[in-house]
Amino acid sequence: MNYELNTTIANLRDLRGTDLRDYGGVYLGDIYCRLYEANFLERLVDLEEGLRILRDQGKHAYVTTYAAPRNDFLPKLRRVLEVSAKAGAEAVEVHNLGIARIAREEFPQLPLHVGGFANVYTAAGIEVLRGFGAVRFTPNYELSLDEINEIAAAGGAPMELLVHGKMPLGVSDYCFLLEYEEKWGVKCPDLCQKELLLKQGDWAMKSLGKGILSGKDVCMLEHLPRLLAEGHRHFRIETVSESPAYRREVAAVYREALDRAGGGESTVDDRWSETLSRHARIGLCNGFYFGKSGMDYTGIRPNAMGSLLTVSRVES
Amino acid sequence: MVELLAPAGNLPMVEEAVASGANAIYVGPRGWSRRRDRYELSDDDVHAAIRIAHGGGAKLRVAFNTNMQSHEIAPMLRKMEGFVSRGVDGAIMTDIGAIAEVHRHFPSLSIHASIGANILNDEDVRFYRSIGVSQVVADTKLTLRELTSRKQRIDVGIEILIHANMCFTYLGKCWMSPYHRLERTADEYGKDLFKGSPNRGGLDYRVCLESWELYCGEEKWEDRVALKNDAFFLLEDIPHLIDLGVHCLKVQGREYPVPLVGRMVRFYRDLIDAYVASPKGGTFDVSPWRSRLAAIQAERDAARSHGTRMLLAEARQPVPAVPAARRA
Repeated sequence: MNYELNTTIANLRDLRGTDLRDYGGVYLGDIYCRLYEANFLERLVDLEEGLRILRDQGKHAYVTTYAAPRNDFLPKLRRVLEVSAKAGAEAVEVHNLGIARIAREEFPQLPLHVGGFANVYTAAGIEVLRGFGAVRFTPNYELSLDEINEIAAAGGAPMELLVHGKMPLGVSDYCFLLEYEEKWGVKCPDLCQKELLLKQGDWAMKSLGKGILSGKDVCMLEHLPRLLAEGHRHFRIETVSESPAYRREVAAVYREALDRAGGGESTVDDRWSETLSRHARIGLCNGFYFGKSGMDYTGIRPNAMGSLLTVSRVES
Repeated sequence: MVELLAPAGNLPMVEEAVASGANAIYVGPRGWSRRRDRYELSDDDVHAAIRIAHGGGAKLRVAFNTNMQSHEIAPMLRKMEGFVSRGVDGAIMTDIGAIAEVHRHFPSLSIHASIGANILNDEDVRFYRSIGVSQVVADTKLTLRELTSRKQRIDVGIEILIHANMCFTYLGKCWMSPYHRLERTADEYGKDLFKGSPNRGGLDYRVCLESWELYCGEEKWEDRVALKNDAFFLLEDIPHLIDLGVHCLKVQGREYPVPLVGRMVRFYRDLIDAYVASPKGGTFDVSPWRSRLAAIQAERDAARSHGTRMLLAEARQPVPAVPAARRA
């Protein structure tokens, strides 16, 4: 069964340092901040090199773009689109409708993937975006699987689903971490490379300064057979600011699990649980896929995934 | 002449806003706007609001600014048709698919893109213009320079929030609240309600205002981190915005007491009228207006602080296993 497992990598250092064997595609760039360390979206020579590396490895080479670009971002983003088109990016991911419009007007040959911050909630919205060259859609993270399937069926459009990793929760124009540079003795752009967590009681969110992510890792491992059965074929592991080991090991779990699920098996291996638990400091959740609060976890095999839920309870 | 747009979370607030000098009022049909349902109106009350507003020489807009579900677009259009037939003056919307559908069905209806559409740059504006939007609400984080660029370069109505809240995140691009608590229910007409998700029309638990501790890995680095969040009233900017030629100055606050909303609207009515009547090219001194605004602000702050405490407490409540409306 053909499916695509992909992720996001922000800079050349992380791209070169990551074993990509289990990924079929990579989005290059950090969507939150122009000052993110060596962001592909600000270093266009790096972006060209990144696209070359991905092509040489036989990966789908994509470029992402900023989640919340203001007017002063636009000249650079036009250059990003230009480089993407010339250097052979297979698609550009847009989270901002203005960028979709620029791409359509000025680079009509570039296929667009619509990102999670673009707020796709309806099939009618998909229809509008198709008119701007969109060919794949990450629905807003708030949608349940039932709602996603409804718009996929009505819109006849391929969806891309976050299956693992910290779910984006918000984006700001303001990096509050900068207030602490002096006190902590850590400067930008090293600040958001730290594993920073906002906590209160059993609540936790990961901070990237301008970006807020879920504290828990979304985990859809148990539900891969359902996702495949429902026709989904594009899966994202969100690894922004994660370590190369996280990228490699989590992808290996999902690759193996998807291969098994594609072959009709629905077992969950204890080794997978151990790996995912080890990388999920705060625990696991299902996001909004089952119509519940994003931090909830809905296990369909409580025994198999029990160790993960235990970790969630103890550490959150 | 710039339009003063006022909120109404109930019919007495519609009357108060009209009496206080609003040029236009916006209301949310129950289940379809970015507020909890107690601050929204039944269809009959929306009809009454249209009559009250028109009777006082004001316009009435309906906010359908949730990110609705695909299957809700048809009922939304039926509801809209009822309001259009009764003379509603415009719709405030967010979802691009819903906007395109409304524009297709009601091409002469004025559609304003809501703050939830999070329109940040000039190309965003052009995108929304292309699907039928005639006026856009400016994000609260935009600068006067960005607004000037927009006004000069694009044929679009510009709406500015003059009393509102500036969140840490961009509005419409945040789901921190439902991440922590989401309660899905349905009203008596079968409309899905998403308590905890402002983007989907439910209340916002304001979890960003929690007193957060900050950890680096396992080590606590800060006992209290406040994510920047300001409820604001514009004062000094009002003359500049009028000179710039913005089309609409909007007061938010459907959740506040009726007398307080009345005082907010009256304050801005008087301020706008005083500035417009002042000599062109002269210096307009806003300092006499500060003390009057300070009193309103103190009252608003007290109401808002109480509301935030209640919401954060509510956010910690467990979600019923079965949605209340579906238990029977």
